[in-house]
Amino acid sequence: MMSEKILYSYTGIFDTPNAVIHAAEQVSKEGFTKYDVNTPYPLHGMDKAMKLPPSKLGYVALVFGLAGTLGALLSLWWVSAIDYPIVIGGKPLFSFPAYIPVMFEVTVLSASIATVLAMLFIFFKFPNNSHPLHGTEYMKKVSSDKYGISIQAEDPKFDESLVRKLFESVHAKEINPLYWDNDEINHKNKIFEPKFLVFLLVIGIITSCTAYFTLNKLMFMLPFNWMMEQPKQNAQQRSLVFNDGFGMRQPVTGTVARGYLPYVFKGQPDLAGEKLVNPVPISKESLKLGQTKFDIYCSPCHGYHAEGDSRLRGQYPNPPSLHSEKVRKWSDGRIFAVLTDGQNVMPSYSSQLTLDERWAVINYVRALQRALNAKESDLQ
Amino acid sequence: MSMIDYTRELSVLEGKPSLRELDELISKPLETKPNKKFYIALSITLSMMGLLVIGLGLTFYYGIGMWGNNVPVGWAFDIVNFVFWVGIGHAGTLISAILFLFRQKWRTGIARFAEGMTIFAVMTAGLFPLIHVGRPWLAGYLFPYPNQHSLWVNFTSPLLWDVFAVSTYFTVSLIFWYVGLIPDFATLREKTNHKFKKIIYSVFSLGWRFSNRHWQNYEMVYLILAGFATPLVLSVHTIVSFDFAVSIIPGWHTTIFPPYFVAGAVFSGFAMVQNVLIIIRKIFNYEHIITLDTLEKMNKVILLTGSMVGYGYAMEFFIAWYSGVEAESFTFLNRALGPYAWAYWIMITCNVVSPQLFWFKKIRRAIPVMFIIAVFINVGMWFERFVIIVTSLSRDFLPSSWAYYKPTLVDGMILIGSFGFFFTWILLFTKALPVVSMAEVKAVADGAQPSHKEHS
Amino acid sequence: MSSSSVEYHKKELPKKFQTIGLVLLLAGLVIVILGYIVNPERSAQNNIIGFSFLVSIAVGSLFFVAIEYLSGAVWSTPFRRVSEFLSSIIVILPLLAIPLLLNINSVFHWTHPEPTDKILVGKAPYLNVQFFIFRVIFFWLIWLVFYYFITKNSRRQDHSKDQFITTANVKLSAIFMPLFALTITFTAIDWLMSLAPHWFSTIFGVYYFSGTVLAALALSTIFIVALNERNYLVEGITSDSYYSLGALLFAFTNFWAYIAFSQFLLIWYANLPEETIWFLDRWNGSWKFFSIGLMIFHFLIPYIGLLSQPSKSNPKRLIFMAGVVLFAHYYDLFWLVMPNFYKEGIVFGWIELGFPIFISGLIISVFVFKTNRENLVPIGDPKLKRGIDFSL
Repeated sequence: MMSEKILYSYTGIFDTPNAVIHAAEQVSKEGFTKYDVNTPYPLHGMDKAMKLPPSKLGYVALVFGLAGTLGALLSLWWVSAIDYPIVIGGKPLFSFPAYIPVMFEVTVLSASIATVLAMLFIFFKFPNNSHPLHGTEYMKKVSSDKYGISIQAEDPKFDESLVRKLFESVHAKEINPLYWDNDEINHKNKIFEPKFLVFLLVIGIITSCTAYFTLNKLMFMLPFNWMMEQPKQNAQQRSLVFNDGFGMRQPVTGTVARGYLPYVFKGQPDLAGEKLVNPVPISKESLKLGQTKFDIYCSPCHGYHAEGDSRLRGQYPNPPSLHSEKVRKWSDGRIFAVLTDGQNVMPSYSSQLTLDERWAVINYVRALQRALNAKESDLQ
Repeated sequence: MSMIDYTRELSVLEGKPSLRELDELISKPLETKPNKKFYIALSITLSMMGLLVIGLGLTFYYGIGMWGNNVPVGWAFDIVNFVFWVGIGHAGTLISAILFLFRQKWRTGIARFAEGMTIFAVMTAGLFPLIHVGRPWLAGYLFPYPNQHSLWVNFTSPLLWDVFAVSTYFTVSLIFWYVGLIPDFATLREKTNHKFKKIIYSVFSLGWRFSNRHWQNYEMVYLILAGFATPLVLSVHTIVSFDFAVSIIPGWHTTIFPPYFVAGAVFSGFAMVQNVLIIIRKIFNYEHIITLDTLEKMNKVILLTGSMVGYGYAMEFFIAWYSGVEAESFTFLNRALGPYAWAYWIMITCNVVSPQLFWFKKIRRAIPVMFIIAVFINVGMWFERFVIIVTSLSRDFLPSSWAYYKPTLVDGMILIGSFGFFFTWILLFTKALPVVSMAEVKAVADGAQPSHKEHS
Repeated sequence: MSSSSVEYHKKELPKKFQTIGLVLLLAGLVIVILGYIVNPERSAQNNIIGFSFLVSIAVGSLFFVAIEYLSGAVWSTPFRRVSEFLSSIIVILPLLAIPLLLNINSVFHWTHPEPTDKILVGKAPYLNVQFFIFRVIFFWLIWLVFYYFITKNSRRQDHSKDQFITTANVKLSAIFMPLFALTITFTAIDWLMSLAPHWFSTIFGVYYFSGTVLAALALSTIFIVALNERNYLVEGITSDSYYSLGALLFAFTNFWAYIAFSQFLLIWYANLPEETIWFLDRWNGSWKFFSIGLMIFHFLIPYIGLLSQPSKSNPKRLIFMAGVVLFAHYYDLFWLVMPNFYKEGIVFGWIELGFPIFISGLIISVFVFKTNRENLVPIGDPKLKRGIDFSL
């Protein structure tokens, strides 16, 4: 193509707001549609003169505002009542009054951003930044203290002499044709312009690299890692404070920790059966606890009902049933000895079950035994 | 007394400047090289900011122990400064959004500047919660996002509402400010011959060409933003007041806190705007744009909000007695007569008594006097937050844990430094952007709008 | 000053308004008297609602008159007389206060506190019958004085067209403002908050103020729009003036919601028994639905109805929404008063109807009475022409 200038529009400059409003009324009356009024600040009554329909951006604000409110409410409900239910300050998990501030802020944020973005993308054709009017004498004037009308050559009704006559009839101070260069003509929406996409890509890469660096590297450097690197003794660490060099200390000799009564009948299960008395009374709670623990630790081999029906499919020798005469006649202390010391291939469960839990399991086993060998009297 | 003519609308601008004169006047600071005075001022604020850097450095290196905070006063200067600076920001939104909705034309001369102050004040305020958490680089955890710990923030905590409120406030204020700047960027783009500046202005003006088809949507967006910013600004200081009022600490838990905090915020913000504007209009010769009438109207707002704050104090005091709750009445007597009585009476003198002078028209129009009163108000409002936070905490329910809070040198450095931070931004702003909105001021100049009779 | 050549032709209101007003007034009066005979206690409780509602309308209207002078607003100048007429109800406020003061023991628990009740005994310096009656009379006198001088000045201006009168009224209004704030606050504490004498809330005065302003504005809006649509006011008022009314109504609806929510949230959150009891009384049994209704009538309906721009200047929509708001204020007062006495659930019977009927009759009668005697438009006001020419 030749770099020939092509007529873009005819412009008229006016000195007073009244004149330009009158002129705009005439232009729109003549039936022009591709024209624009340029004023350094918004003029009251100009929308009416140009017969513009009211702006619809209010709907954008409404829709995104509502979306913000509902979105916030839903996510707050999901977070606090479903995904991470923690009672705070005695308030219900879903405490609506406490969500109103956040919901409000999200509403305002989403509506404001959406409205402005809608204006930028729809009306300003962002990221499109150039326009034939830019940098012209006309623009210089209407950006400061004059008022202008520009009727585009694209308009179906456009005719040079007619437009000139129209401008003269409304007393335009200056009437000028405005040309544009060929390379300016092809300006469509530049949102898919490679340059812009590359720009977005670069921003994306920089952001992700920064985020990665911050979260995975920076946080582990001095001084940001000071919360982790503290001058304190960690478990299994060598200590310089004590002569023996151990960081972890032994309990004071002769003391017994609560709930950890030492077991003195090691290797003497019968003696244990004689001396030990079950200190845990049979109650709903203890049976429940016993059931839980039994189902976790005992049932894989002994079966849910202690019948020796292992669920291990022969990968481990099946234990005998606990409903046998022998076990039923054992005292609680005798069973306790088995749990604590182990028997045959059964290992000790003293590290898995606390003292009270062991007694609770025994209570539960007694209940199972009685269930399978019920007496007449139990029916009453 | 001179007669007022109510039949005619008073002109917002003095001396009937032409539109081009307004352009020249407003863009002048951007087109001239900064002079010596500017550099002197900048070096002062930068050295104050240096104190901030030192104070923060010490705090981060040694920990929060460098501050005076200790049991039972766990919140002190950090939160006082936070509330103070957020409050300063409120005047800007009030002027730009609420007065816009009320169609108060006198706001045009001061709106841009006040909005700028909002942004800088919120930035300054934002520093304090960040440094108060001790490890500001982990502040990202304040925002709810699906993280690798499967943890969520506590949405029922007012401190989290603060995160939402302040960040929303900052974002929306920034958008509002920028939207207002677009036409001015375009004017500057057409005006400048400097190649580099032209590129910058072109980028930021987003292709603006003063088209009425744009103006129409632009005005709609401005109206919507103002409509959102108005409840937003109320919500921000309301939520700041919730930080205190949802607790059960006597002197903190009182239902009037939300409106009374908002009034106080606007009050202190206006005082700060007043202080800075008096200097700006002198230096840049904006006397015809920021007129004495405008300053007088601001003084009326200061009087109004100051009286609201006084009403809040009185109501708190009355209900503390009326409630019959012992702890509550003790707290208020303790404020007035206890170890912090000095702070309390500074607050009362500065906030309640001094603005009452604005009942007199002579004082409302005397620039040196209003400057001094505005300084007083800023001092008073800082002390208001001090009184609320420190006196309530220093003597809580357990007399055995009572203590007298004393700030340390580092506290003082951070406080002074925050002023340095704020004013540095202000100074840079005056040289980088038009501090008065050209488009808005032109729109309210005499004869700028079509007269009613000729068409209708 | 030559611009105040506004054409205004005074028109009498149709006779039927006078009749309607009188019929409602008398019917209401009969029900109220019957109610006082049958159940004096419950009637006195309703009387409080009626009295506070009339205070809202009367003093709230005077507040709007004062605010117009102070802010220098022009769009409301052609409408100012409506608010002035409504504020004349101040004169007849004692009419509703006297039966209450005669029954003071049956509504206010603090008039006869048990000696063991330390809190009430402690409050006695403020909550005692003599001081209460003194306050009621004192506040009324303040309102009366400002009503008298401000409206008298305004009437004088009709003939003299003197601009100094506006200046004088601006000064009067400035003095009125702080007094208004204090009197309304303590009226709220005395008549409404002290019904639950152990309960307290520092925001309560502001809460009542927000309702007051809303009710006065809503009633004025109804009269203004109805009269203007039938050309009783001046020619040339555009929908921009309606828009301003609608926007104010919308703004104060939000303000009320803001204050109400702040009060609720702080008490709900802190969960102190001496404070929550008041809200629990209003969440008990069927009161729960009544409380939900308050949010709907006082906030949701007007908020949604007035949100969009065109709806603020649509006369029919405006009158309807103002009606809803006015109803909501009475509803709000009912919500403030009744749960203090009837903890089990809502009570509603013919006794409750007496005061609303009586009050509507009273307002219409007073308005017709004033309209027939005075100009409906402040024709001498220097701001009038600008007010008619007002556009956004």
